[in-house]
Amino acid sequence: MAAVWLCLLASGAWAQAKPSEYEVKAAYLFNFGKFMRIVGGPAAQSGSVFNICILGRDPIGRAMDEIADNESIDGRRVHVLRIADATQAHNCDIVFISPYEGAAIREDLAIIAGTNVLTVSDAPDFLELGGMIQFLFQGDHVRFAVNLDAVNRTKLVLSSELLRVAVSIKGGPPGGPQ
Amino acid sequence: MRLWNSPSIAGKLTRMNVMVSGTALLCAYFAFLGYDLFTLRQDLIGSLSTEAAIVGANSVTALIFDDQQAAESTLSAMRQSPQIEWAVVLRPDGARFAQYSRDKSLKPAMRDSLRPGERWGYWIRGRNILLGRRIEFEGKELGSVYLLAETSGLLHSALQFGLLSAVILLLCFAIALLVTSATRNLVTAPLTGLAETAQIVSRDRDYSVRAEMPRSSDELALLVSSFNEMLEQIQERERALQHSRSILEQRVQERTAELTAANKELEAFSYSVAHDLRGPLQHISNIAFLLQATMQETRPQDRELIGKLFEGSQKMAALIDDLLNLSRATSTPLHRAEVDLSEMAGEILHNLQAEEHGRCVRCTIAAGARAVADEGLLHVVLQNLLGNAWKYTSKVEDAAIEFGLRLEQGGTVYFVRDNGAGFDPAYADRLFRPFQRLHSQSEFPGTGVGLTTAFRIIARHGGKIWAESKPGEGATFFFTLSGDGTSS
Repeated sequence: MAAVWLCLLASGAWAQAKPSEYEVKAAYLFNFGKFMRIVGGPAAQSGSVFNICILGRDPIGRAMDEIADNESIDGRRVHVLRIADATQAHNCDIVFISPYEGAAIREDLAIIAGTNVLTVSDAPDFLELGGMIQFLFQGDHVRFAVNLDAVNRTKLVLSSELLRVAVSIKGGPPGGPQ
Repeated sequence: MRLWNSPSIAGKLTRMNVMVSGTALLCAYFAFLGYDLFTLRQDLIGSLSTEAAIVGANSVTALIFDDQQAAESTLSAMRQSPQIEWAVVLRPDGARFAQYSRDKSLKPAMRDSLRPGERWGYWIRGRNILLGRRIEFEGKELGSVYLLAETSGLLHSALQFGLLSAVILLLCFAIALLVTSATRNLVTAPLTGLAETAQIVSRDRDYSVRAEMPRSSDELALLVSSFNEMLEQIQERERALQHSRSILEQRVQERTAELTAANKELEAFSYSVAHDLRGPLQHISNIAFLLQATMQETRPQDRELIGKLFEGSQKMAALIDDLLNLSRATSTPLHRAEVDLSEMAGEILHNLQAEEHGRCVRCTIAAGARAVADEGLLHVVLQNLLGNAWKYTSKVEDAAIEFGLRLEQGGTVYFVRDNGAGFDPAYADRLFRPFQRLHSQSEFPGTGVGLTTAFRIIARHGGKIWAESKPGEGATFFFTLSGDGTSS
């Protein structure tokens, strides 16, 4: 049993019997990084970092830092950045747009558009606004939906494994080069 | 089946082949069956492990993003694998994340699980195999998958294989038996031929037969050819033996004929010599007698010389008579007739008494001694035996001579007994040889031919003659005569 328990500790996501909503979302944010890549993007350089940014007022808190602590994705160290302005997002790999942004979300997305940044939020109409992944609830499980059209407008590619567990996928298969 | 119980080599070969091929086939059968069961099981475990790995890989995102539905839809693909009864994906803490079961009512208890650090493992319980495999992603454990497979399909295919193999085995066995009966003759035919030939040789003593050579040139051929060679040698030896035997026989016949001719010649010669000597001797005897009678004025020494001359010529006449008798005893043909031996013996003794007056001899003659024999020759025998008895009792006070007979198993034994000088039994074998005398001429005069003559006559009658004695206690001469007288 001890070993199993150690494994649980290592995986982190299920460290507690009943994780809170934002603890789950933090883990998802971190794990999205493992199922995305940039087509034609530069190869991962050692020493470079993988930035997970939180735009706007942070609802996640320490849970994000705890999950990202001492972790790496594709050999890049994971950093958690909290940014106040969408213009700072071009350095990020994943941007979580706080639901508190409200009406500013459309504007934020417009600023971020054109960069290869995965946009995630739990705002209710995030996909309609042109966001890529939106958290939602199914029963008391945290799930997510994907706007594939928005993803396809960038050089980002989401793994089919990830898409398989999405609640819904908006848009068709990518038309551009893979 | 007749061959199966037969003690012959063919039967033994059949039994041997059946046992050897049967054992080999059975061993192969069980080895293959065991190997098949083992490989079937290993194959099943291998395919289960692969499926578990696939399920695990496909459940990674479902586990990460807590999507039970996705996990269950992955598991439902198990429906394509008929041997998988039940499958489950567990979280690392052992909580059930997703489950699949072919039969909804099936709710197996999980009694086995992977030990910490074990990446995969399997457990066999009765007909079921439970296989577990950890689900890992980027070095982290996300959970584990367990598949429960039913092995009755395995047993079914093993049974199918077993039945098929059994049919093949029986077929092989039947073919082996057919081949055996076809090839058996290669070994048994030369042996049977050899045995039959040996039987003919030992039963009929026919060394001219030969065993048939087998076409092959193996040890059997060697055996047969050696046997034939042996027969050849035996035949050769038999032939040589027959040849030398016939030569020997011929030689014996030739020698016998030569000897007979020589003997005849000798007998004729001695007869004619004896006969021709008689005339001149008679003259000498007569002249000596006349000289004795007519010469009154002679000196006493001349008279003695003439007496010796007369005496010598008398002895020579007796010897010539005896020699003529001996010659006759061998050459004259037998004329058998009934002879009264008692009467003959009485006559002879009467004559002896008449020749020598003044001697008192007690003579006993058994009455009724009759035989079928040549009267003249038998007279010579009795004359010799009784004459000897008369002669050798001459120096005994109370002389007694007996002629008698006794009936024994072989026939009638006649005997002449006296109480005279007798002889040393050590020399008994010399008695019947010619010119052999056991007493000196001065003691008892004689020619040494009489008993030889008696011996020849008795032999010609097919009888036997022998003597018993002790010195000083008299002698007894026995003789027999074969009644039918087939002897020549």
